[in-house]
Amino acid sequence: MADASPLNILIAEDDPVSSRLLQRSVENWGFKAVLARDGGEAWEKLRDPAIRLAVLDWEMPAADGPDLCRRLRAQPNRRYTYTILLTSRDKPEDIILGLEAGADDYMTKPVALPELRVRLQTGKRIIELEDKLLQNQKRLADLATKDGLTKLWNRRTILQFLGEEFAEGKRRKTQTGVVMIDVDHFKEINDTCGHLAGDRVLVALAQRLKKAIRPYDRIGRYGGDEILVVLPDCGGKDAAAIAERLRLKSIRWPAYLGKQALGFTLSIGVSSTEHLKRPTIDGLIQSADQALYEAKLSGRDRVVSAKTRTSRRARGSHDNNEE
Amino acid sequence: MTTTKNDFPPFLREEALERAGGDAKLLDELLSLYHEEFGSKCRDLAEAIARKDADEIRKLGHGLKGSSANLSLPALREAAWAVEKAGMEGDIEKAREALRRLAGEYDRLKASLG
Repeated sequence: MADASPLNILIAEDDPVSSRLLQRSVENWGFKAVLARDGGEAWEKLRDPAIRLAVLDWEMPAADGPDLCRRLRAQPNRRYTYTILLTSRDKPEDIILGLEAGADDYMTKPVALPELRVRLQTGKRIIELEDKLLQNQKRLADLATKDGLTKLWNRRTILQFLGEEFAEGKRRKTQTGVVMIDVDHFKEINDTCGHLAGDRVLVALAQRLKKAIRPYDRIGRYGGDEILVVLPDCGGKDAAAIAERLRLKSIRWPAYLGKQALGFTLSIGVSSTEHLKRPTIDGLIQSADQALYEAKLSGRDRVVSAKTRTSRRARGSHDNNEE
Repeated sequence: MTTTKNDFPPFLREEALERAGGDAKLLDELLSLYHEEFGSKCRDLAEAIARKDADEIRKLGHGLKGSSANLSLPALREAAWAVEKAGMEGDIEKAREALRRLAGEYDRLKASLG
């Protein structure tokens, strides 16, 4: 692992001789040493997530080694920190106490340095295993929830967000807005400039929309060139204003395929629970879809808001609930 | 009365050098750190004895035992252990005795280092 940046090791040791000797040794073995002279300083330095290994003296002022281990293990979301306790206590009950506090390993003083070296290698292996595991976990979660091309949420996930937001809005008695965005003449872009060009338009659009939404809005790829934005706590008027802002910010510049400029426009349909007498998730999507359809009919390149529906129609759309 | 154990050598240089990875410069640095540390710990120890603070005596003895062992200083390690033990037993008189022995061993070490 000569190319990787060195792992950081915290050395918490109040005796300057041991501290210096340990520091020099771990540096010789390719680690980066971070020093602490007492338990308080050690805890302070352990807040740096870059520290993945810790060699902790049992007896220290302010907080002792087992204390630090217990505090570390009480942080469930922390990346794993592999800990080795150093002590001159070698009675079985001390070893049990140390390991029960959450230490991974235990060495008696004076520390046999060649032994410490191989024990640190064990720690390093465990840290690397955890990193690999978390990386894979994140990759799998991304694959399951994100759209591969645009990196927006996929259809299933954005609909799940909409469901959650809809329920949350009901509970809090706030409105939920949805915005359905469609690229005008997308098929023509694909047919005349190639599918790669269509992809570039979608990717550019996704990036611009992501920058333009509010931090708590969610955005997902609903269909081929259809993008759905979920707007929490947002009535019809605000949703329309946000949609117009999204439109203007997205079409200001063309997308590019190499040097080829790909200008595009957007048709956008807006709806919110405010528009519906008896709001449902399907009703929201259908009314935004309907508004989008009207935007297309009336000449494209515009935002159209849903009209307020009668309760009969909203109920009807719920009963015919289709995917 | 504490028995004086002269069968422990003051300094096992070869062993210490090996611990320092054969780095004589590092060993010198460690020894000078030890001298600084020893001076301040002995002052703290005298104060703790005056205060009759047994737990502090134990801790200071424990610390000195560790650094002495690290540098392969067996005579000082044993003397520090006597201090720690006196602290554990809460025997201030024994601690005072052990501190004298510690100081004596330290002089022996300095003499042997020249």
